[in-house]
Amino acid sequence: MKSLCKLFAACSKQTFRTSTLYTNTKIRMYKMDRRLEFSSVIKEAEKVVGYPVSFLNLRVILNDEIANILSYTKKLIEMKHPLVQTLSNLVFQNEQKTFGLIVLLMSKVAGLSGNFRESEYDRGTDILHSQRVIAEVIEMIKTGHLMHTSLSNIDASTKNVLDINFGNKLALLYGDYLLAISSSELARLKNHQVQQIISSALRDLAESQFFGLRDPQNNPIPSKPLPEQKDVKIPNEFGVEPLKFEDVLGNMKAEWTLRNILCSGSLLAKCCQGSLILADHEFFVPKLAYIFGRNLALAWQASLEKVQIKEETFSLVSAPVMLHLQHDPSLYTEIEKGLSDQKKVNYDLIRKVVMSGPGLDKTDQLKKEFSDTALNVLNNFSDSGSKTVLINIIKAL
Amino acid sequence: MRRVFALGENPVTTVLAMASIGSGRLCARVQEKLCQWGQYTRREAYSCVRTKIGSQTAPRVPQERQNEKHSQSLAATAASTVSAGCWHPCSRPEIAGTARSFSTMRTQQPGSLPEYQIDPYHLLEDDLKDVYIYIRDALRRGTYQDDLYEIATYYFDGHGKAIRPMVAILMARAINYHIYKEKSGLLSSQREVAMISEMIHTASLVHDDVIDQSDFRRGKPSVNVMWNHKKVTMAGDFILAVASIMIARLRNNDVTLVLSQVVTDLVQGEFMQLGSKETENERFAHYLTKTYRKTASLIANSVKSVTMLAGADEQLADVSYQYGRNLGLAFQLVDDLLDFVSSSAAMGKPTAADLKLGLATAPVLFACEKYPELNPMIMRRFQEPGDVERAFDLVHKSRGLEQTQYLAKQHCQEAVRLANLLEESPYQKGLIVAADYVLNRMK
Repeated sequence: MKSLCKLFAACSKQTFRTSTLYTNTKIRMYKMDRRLEFSSVIKEAEKVVGYPVSFLNLRVILNDEIANILSYTKKLIEMKHPLVQTLSNLVFQNEQKTFGLIVLLMSKVAGLSGNFRESEYDRGTDILHSQRVIAEVIEMIKTGHLMHTSLSNIDASTKNVLDINFGNKLALLYGDYLLAISSSELARLKNHQVQQIISSALRDLAESQFFGLRDPQNNPIPSKPLPEQKDVKIPNEFGVEPLKFEDVLGNMKAEWTLRNILCSGSLLAKCCQGSLILADHEFFVPKLAYIFGRNLALAWQASLEKVQIKEETFSLVSAPVMLHLQHDPSLYTEIEKGLSDQKKVNYDLIRKVVMSGPGLDKTDQLKKEFSDTALNVLNNFSDSGSKTVLINIIKAL
Repeated sequence: MRRVFALGENPVTTVLAMASIGSGRLCARVQEKLCQWGQYTRREAYSCVRTKIGSQTAPRVPQERQNEKHSQSLAATAASTVSAGCWHPCSRPEIAGTARSFSTMRTQQPGSLPEYQIDPYHLLEDDLKDVYIYIRDALRRGTYQDDLYEIATYYFDGHGKAIRPMVAILMARAINYHIYKEKSGLLSSQREVAMISEMIHTASLVHDDVIDQSDFRRGKPSVNVMWNHKKVTMAGDFILAVASIMIARLRNNDVTLVLSQVVTDLVQGEFMQLGSKETENERFAHYLTKTYRKTASLIANSVKSVTMLAGADEQLADVSYQYGRNLGLAFQLVDDLLDFVSSSAAMGKPTAADLKLGLATAPVLFACEKYPELNPMIMRRFQEPGDVERAFDLVHKSRGLEQTQYLAKQHCQEAVRLANLLEESPYQKGLIVAADYVLNRMK
């Protein structure tokens, strides 16, 4: 474990050029003030639910079977395999969204409905053991999915094919392992509705990697903006049906929204929903949790992307870029170059154009839209310590 | 495709109609299944005539000879009270080389085969023909995105052996008959389990292909060649997610737990494959555990699930679990064996693939006894140039192949013994024939 941390410390000192994967953020120091404020809010939150949820991610590293194989990590670092970036981010927890924490907080806010035996929940925090399992499951699914997106596509021009292939193998296996464990944990809950819903979130995650245009490394590229931008609403899906996407591609705001729902919104929404179903709440209460989770995830993503645009490289489908395109599609000619090769894109140019345009303001508006919806949902619940904490988290975004 | 029947005036069709199997469909289907059983083209006089009961002989016309023999045997099929196919599973196709090399591998023992020649594929034709269609439907309903659907359904085109759904449905019907006698039909939940098991298996194949960089599987270019690794990985996840939704829809806690265990076993089996053990004894145990997890677990747990869904007690569920486990182990052992003996065309994928991947399978592990120089090669996973060829030779020189065959036979015999604990029925006989098929197959 110690040598592992040393390795990761070493790689964090180098600045990698990130691939424009959504959920990977660069390892750099953010503005101190904002960081401190946010992390103190999170610390408060963790006190409320009883333990630091952030360590759930480390389970993947501490498991015996996997630790064995981590001896190959050094080689991967030399190759700059995307898997290393992912693992580093996990260990150093830079601005990673802690979904598990949100699930637990939401569970606490809603409380328990119906009668439960004392052995089924934790007296101190009024959270069911099964709800804690959901929190673990959400982290495992998120991490597993992240692993699976950390592969590196191999083609005729790839050097070190065997080594890259090995890195892919590890990423695939770690991911599979986590997803397999999460399914057996889910099965042990013996609640079919929850199992169905969360499996559908898994399905949405898989779908997210196919949505829209992609470059050869499967990084997302925005679609060409339609001349007339429509305001398309993405409906709430409380069941297991897949989301439709006609009319979405090309409408920049809707495209961003649907993409992020598939990537993270659906997972948080459905796990919150599932958690409240476990607490025996009435029909509409879990639905409120769905709406809350979805909007919180979207607001969170928007706020992360607003900061990310100032980095050296950023996601081409991030909110500021997409919303700028909505306002002025001419930037698309530069972005299009990314379809064949990421390196052809002039990120500096795009950053300059976007930052001088309405992109950032519109991102703020977008974020506010989602945060407000989330806050409105919270108003349906009675006041409590955990409710205050959630409100603070939303406000700190 | 050769027309196998003369329709219309043939007495067979009327009898077939009674047995409610459409002859037109039967035509193409049987043809396909014959290929799979390796029984294609030659229908010798000896094949089934002696085993028929109360046959009706059709008039012989020279150019119809082929058809006549076939229809004779079908008449036998239809006329017998127990519906039975007629393809003696042990008559060898005339494919040069492989047929001869297998002649020493037969395990014919008098009395080990059932009196009636049952073809499980024929028996379950109606059930099986729909499995792939239903799977594709379920996947189609899971997404609106066409390219995801395309990748996900690439392997569900009906060219696979469909062993897992076949065994699951056989067991389901056998158990239903065992418990409920004639009142048994196939429960839709049991059919779902057959589909789920095939989906889980295919998802693992898809992921394996990403890792193994394989170029061929089931005779077609592997998914990687056509799309990219990331998309393929996600397609595998998609299939698993849809399968999980289907598992939850069964609304049976025991079955859910059992099937979820399978997915964990599959992954752990893969991990085990990455590591290696020091001593010979450990290695074999490691190999068997890995084989159980990677192959047998799915078959064993899916037959156990269908048994539980039939309302069976724990004892009966255990019988079917053990049957599945033995069958699965034998299946993998024969697979490992075939890697050393068959040619590319028959298998659909090139041989010595395991060695090239650095895997030491049963034949190699057995060969170690006679040729200890294999040990260092195993430890370095056949990476040195010339290792693969040398190991291949040594395995053939040693008794490794025979010993693997023997072990597979042991498991098959155990499976047969367990199947005999069930009430006699065509499906129960089918289970026995399936065990035999696993042992004697060629691809």
